[in-house]
Amino acid sequence: MPALLWADNVSFRYAAGGPLVVDGVTVRLADGALAGILGPNGSGKTTLLRLLSGTRRPTSGRVLLGNRPMDRLSRREVARQIAVVPQETELAFEYSVIEIVLMGRHPHLGVFTVEGPEDIRIAQEALAATGTAHLERRPFHELSGGEKQRVVIAAALAQSADLLLLDEPTASLDLGYQLDISSLLQRLNRDHEVTMAISTHDLNLAAAICRELILMRDGRVLAAGPTEEVLTSDNVRRLYDVEADVHVNDDTGHMTVVPVRRIAR
Amino acid sequence: MNVRRRMITVVSAYAVFAAAVMVWAPTVGSTDISLSKAFDRSIPWDQNVDAQIFFVARLPRVLSGAIVGASLASAGVVLQAMLRNPLATPFTLGVSAGAALGAMIAIAIGLDLGAMGVSSVPIASFAGSLVAIAIVYFLASSQKRGLSTNVLLLAGVTLNSFFSALILFVQYMADFTQSFRAVRWLMGDLDVGSYSPILAAIPFIVAAFAVFAILPRTLNLLTMGENVAAARGVEVIRAQRWAFLSASLATGAAVSLGGPIGFIGIVVPHLVRLMVGSDHRIVLPAATLFGAAFTVLCDLTARTIMAPMELPVGIITALIGGPFFLWLLVKKS
Amino acid sequence: MFFVMIFVIFVVSFQAQRPQRIISLVPALTEMLFAIGAGPQVVAVSSFDEYPPEATKLPRVGALLDPDTERIISLTPDLVVTYGSQVDLQAQMKRAAITTFDYRHGGLAHIMTTMRELGARTGHVAEAETAATGIEVRIAAVRARVAGKPRPRVLLVFGREPRSLRNIYVSAGRGFLHDMLEAAGGQDVFADADRESIQATTEHILARAPDVILELRSENIPDESALREELGPWGRLASVPAVRNKRVILLTGQAVTVPGPRVADGIERMAKALHP
Repeated sequence: MPALLWADNVSFRYAAGGPLVVDGVTVRLADGALAGILGPNGSGKTTLLRLLSGTRRPTSGRVLLGNRPMDRLSRREVARQIAVVPQETELAFEYSVIEIVLMGRHPHLGVFTVEGPEDIRIAQEALAATGTAHLERRPFHELSGGEKQRVVIAAALAQSADLLLLDEPTASLDLGYQLDISSLLQRLNRDHEVTMAISTHDLNLAAAICRELILMRDGRVLAAGPTEEVLTSDNVRRLYDVEADVHVNDDTGHMTVVPVRRIAR
Repeated sequence: MNVRRRMITVVSAYAVFAAAVMVWAPTVGSTDISLSKAFDRSIPWDQNVDAQIFFVARLPRVLSGAIVGASLASAGVVLQAMLRNPLATPFTLGVSAGAALGAMIAIAIGLDLGAMGVSSVPIASFAGSLVAIAIVYFLASSQKRGLSTNVLLLAGVTLNSFFSALILFVQYMADFTQSFRAVRWLMGDLDVGSYSPILAAIPFIVAAFAVFAILPRTLNLLTMGENVAAARGVEVIRAQRWAFLSASLATGAAVSLGGPIGFIGIVVPHLVRLMVGSDHRIVLPAATLFGAAFTVLCDLTARTIMAPMELPVGIITALIGGPFFLWLLVKKS
Repeated sequence: MFFVMIFVIFVVSFQAQRPQRIISLVPALTEMLFAIGAGPQVVAVSSFDEYPPEATKLPRVGALLDPDTERIISLTPDLVVTYGSQVDLQAQMKRAAITTFDYRHGGLAHIMTTMRELGARTGHVAEAETAATGIEVRIAAVRARVAGKPRPRVLLVFGREPRSLRNIYVSAGRGFLHDMLEAAGGQDVFADADRESIQATTEHILARAPDVILELRSENIPDESALREELGPWGRLASVPAVRNKRVILLTGQAVTVPGPRVADGIERMAKALHP
């Protein structure tokens, strides 16, 4: 299967002489994939997503989008194919929801082009797809955390990209919103054929929706492959130093992870 | 939701307001003049006092007010968005301190390098602003990864206080009349006395505005943070570089023309945002036009309220700008 | 410090009648001291003193904003001439038991009054009287000469940004510059403003249409071309009678800018410029 996005043995350090935050990682995202990136804090998940989205350049190695090296593409070209949902969105100024979502159209517009009816239609569809159509005129800063996150996802969808990279999309949300977001992501992957990579701490979310997993620790890939093969209690122990029970529901095939206790490293 | 129609409507309204102010402003002043006499070509120029008051005294003043106001207000908008800091002003990054230091030195040593009808103080202050821009820019881009807005902010603030200390030193070494002139320069003065300083400033401001014209949607994205902007297709470092350089150039040219007139660069952008929202495609042109009108009105007040005495325009912008801003904040909340 | 104080008190108590060690922080009053014969008693002057030549050889102890108190005290003066606003210095002198003579600029007559007061304080009453009367006689002579002549309306400029029409400062309804102009047979176009000076805008100047623009400079202009260049910007105000009739006149030298004993020279030169 051809890789849509392929990080080939990439490494990255933020400052010259600093530690390698990502160390020789190879990731292949096939068309239509729904991949989860798991790992403890500081394992390099966010940085890997930045390398994959091309907002940072690897110190060594290369990232290919389609078949083309990422660093030969302009930011605009990349943004038309890859959209990113950041962990948190903090606005310096007040915008309405529709304004935020329309900003997703940026890579499709010329310097002096103004969003036309087609752009507005796409933005409204994105709002509808995330269940936030009723919020269109509301000021973004007045929304709840879950509403904000769904609007930010809508903005990324409005980018009309084939690939969606999400950095801990459910991190600051309560259980209800976590479920909303995860079913939203699953639906987008299935109905809209959006290829996704999601970094998350939520093993159960990953187990429920991701078809493949990449486990990262200390900037390296610990294991990668189909969820049912990778998500074992052995791997969870190696990943988090936590003893955990991994159950597979025989009827539905759902996997659940129950952490038991922390163990010394 | 029609973005284009809203842009055209709102910006046109501001344009009409600014145009009305600029047409009206030269007709009022401490003296009553007859417009029909001022525009009467049959009266010889050197005998037509009304025409002279209109064309020599008021028009350059209104024009310089409009240019300075437009530049400071738009530079404020651009820098606030780029630094993601609503409290940034065109003077935050040390440009005006550099300009002030240049002016102080020119005043204190009686520098005499007038060129093309522009006296030495504006030239020296513009040179000072360029020096400040260069220092801040190279400090902020010395790190490997492009431009750091944090370093930009810190370098600007530090340079501001360092230059302020130097200004005090230069003032202290100067004699009384020179220090008085120096202090007066710091309060801002739009009575430029001729068209030459305006013409000299225009190329720089036009260049800056040309860059501003391509920035607005990028500024919208920059306010969401560098990573989001980059992911949406913005070449962040290039955009920040252009935003910083163009805003600084406009500020330097404006300050060398009218002195460091305070409050315009922060009050006008906020007032405009309170009225039209935060979309920079509307805020930037609206603030530019509103800044021009606001400054011309403040200067109109400065030159008439206590005639024949003249109030420094910087005091008026502060006196009007401060309370008006507070009132709008209270009203909005 | 204590010993210095004791010493100062000692000196003061013995010399109280006629001060022998005078420090002047006001250039105009330094001139007056020398004019009334108290020059030999002056031991130090301000950083800005340039006249008379003898004064420039004396130690300098700061000026209006930066008086060097320590230096002043160490010179053991028995009279310090201060400007009225130097209240901190005056308080320090009082603590050190040094008497001060506090002066503020006033009108033209105030110059002669100050000279007479200085004469009384320094033991030169007769010389002060002679000097002051001499100035008054010369001023009266000027007044007599210009009496009855038409009094041109004059813009008296004492500050302007070089080679431009910005930051123009002019004399207004009071103060010694206004009085000098009036004595020289001119009429101040800003006489209605009850202040010593105002910043005049080009609009005011155009509207008030002075017959003569008299510009004062303490420093000299080197040559004719520099003078033309310096006065060139006034040409923009073409409708002002002074410009139309080429009556923009530059007077240089401290005689026209310092409210001291040379004021009669200044008035005579102004009169000559206004009534050639």
